[in-house]
Amino acid sequence: MLRRPARLGALLGEVGKYGRIARIALVERLAYRLDFILSTLLRFLPMLTTILLWLAVYAGAGQLSGGQLGGFSLKEMISYLLLVHISRMFSSMPGLAQGIARDIREGNLKKYLLQPISILPYLLSYRAAHKAAYITMTAVPYALLFFLCRDFFAGWPSAPVLAAYLLSLLLGFLIGFFLEAALGMLGFWFLEVSSFLYVMGTLTFFLSGHMFPFDLLPAVFAQVLKALPFQYLAYFPAAIFLDKVPQEALLSALMTEAVWALALALLASWLYRCGLRRYSAYGG
Amino acid sequence: MRTLLHYGRLWLAFARFGLMRELSFRGNFLVKVSVELLWLIILLIFYDMVFTHTSVVADWSREEYLFFVGCYYALGGVIETLFLINCGEFAELVRTGDLDFYLLLPANEQFLITSRDLDWATLPNIFLGAGVSMLALMQLGWDFDLGRLLLFLLLFACGVALAYSFLVLLTAASVWLVRNQSLYEVWWLFTTFMRYPREIFAGRWAYPIGWFFTFVVPVIVATNVPARVMVKVLEPELAAYTLLASAVLLVLSRKVFYLALQHYRSASS
Repeated sequence: MLRRPARLGALLGEVGKYGRIARIALVERLAYRLDFILSTLLRFLPMLTTILLWLAVYAGAGQLSGGQLGGFSLKEMISYLLLVHISRMFSSMPGLAQGIARDIREGNLKKYLLQPISILPYLLSYRAAHKAAYITMTAVPYALLFFLCRDFFAGWPSAPVLAAYLLSLLLGFLIGFFLEAALGMLGFWFLEVSSFLYVMGTLTFFLSGHMFPFDLLPAVFAQVLKALPFQYLAYFPAAIFLDKVPQEALLSALMTEAVWALALALLASWLYRCGLRRYSAYGG
Repeated sequence: MRTLLHYGRLWLAFARFGLMRELSFRGNFLVKVSVELLWLIILLIFYDMVFTHTSVVADWSREEYLFFVGCYYALGGVIETLFLINCGEFAELVRTGDLDFYLLLPANEQFLITSRDLDWATLPNIFLGAGVSMLALMQLGWDFDLGRLLLFLLLFACGVALAYSFLVLLTAASVWLVRNQSLYEVWWLFTTFMRYPREIFAGRWAYPIGWFFTFVVPVIVATNVPARVMVKVLEPELAAYTLLASAVLLVLSRKVFYLALQHYRSASS
């Protein structure tokens, strides 16, 4: 009878512990404000030039007024290019894999082994705080941008689609996190993984649909890219918002995304456990 | 002249040392080269995808645009090979106070900080970019014109000077920002204006932006002017402006760089 409150207390203690980690990460993120503001403002420049490029492409194709390229009208294309930035705002994890690989290489992993914290929940709460800070600080400029570009959008999607969109973004955050974490765990087997991570970063930019919607590619390539988990990092949430995923298929598509998130979480956790057996704490 | 020769020899020694270091980790070097190649392939897939849907983008035909892509890639290769790796480390030198070491050496500070190392892995980009441009010229059936080629090379050098000046200005900002670890990202974002033809800045709200980044912050001209001279038309006023802007920006960036050094507070000493 006494076990349940004790277990609840322990659970609350665990949550409080990772909550404090998140608060410290938030304070750290806000310490370098100027650097943060400069890079955030510059982040809008590629959006601008990409929109202008696509305007020129549609003008060149004579499809400026309502015509479609790959099933996307000009307005949908520009909406898509704006929405993938929101997707990446949730799913990109700069420095995560490098950090894990560095901790392995330099023997710093011992802090997770000696202290009562687990590496994956610790890093997850740390990243969640960084994302919260980033999303909060960029909310105003993004809101202004979307307001200025409101004519490109057909309006707000229906409530179920909007709920599915938000869920896809949160699952995209988890997929991005566990994918990067799994890549970082390769540091147990290879001394230097930075070049490999660079390859993956370059590939992800293309495979996630960040550059353009897959639908513009020949059907066979588009199908292959839509079967990979990378699509959840950029393409999939944007496609949901633009009603490119039929409503009757929404639930199964989200479940597939959740399965990918779970599979990648299990993979990262398994790689960590396998890696620990090889770990020698060099330099630690 | 003797000073120039001295710095030339110094640079060659740095380059030789860098090559030896790269070749000590041959596997890593090959992966880095492969990434650059992969990026070019992605760019070409994007280019090909665009031109399967249209025959012209902002006044640039398929072959002309291919030349532009090659020109941009080669210019990016020059900056990455010679300067980017060095400037990228500057913020960390400021943050840790290790910049003291470079300031005490008997050599020009700007040379040491921006040109002491060579990124051999990105060197092939220059040749790949040149190759893509030559392929485009062959597709265009370009008639050899020595005068035009020399003018292109001069304006390409101006483009490199402009890009270098902007890189130095962004690097100098590290002193005031304290942490500017995202210089690679900032540089990538800033050079977005070099990546596309100037003619895409058309329309009521885009034209003033294009004008601003052509004449006030002349980053668009770095790739546009040399590429236009080679495959489209020579605009003498714009070419003269590019020459002038590159000279002014080289001087200005140098002054800002030394101003930044004056504000440097040795962090760890």
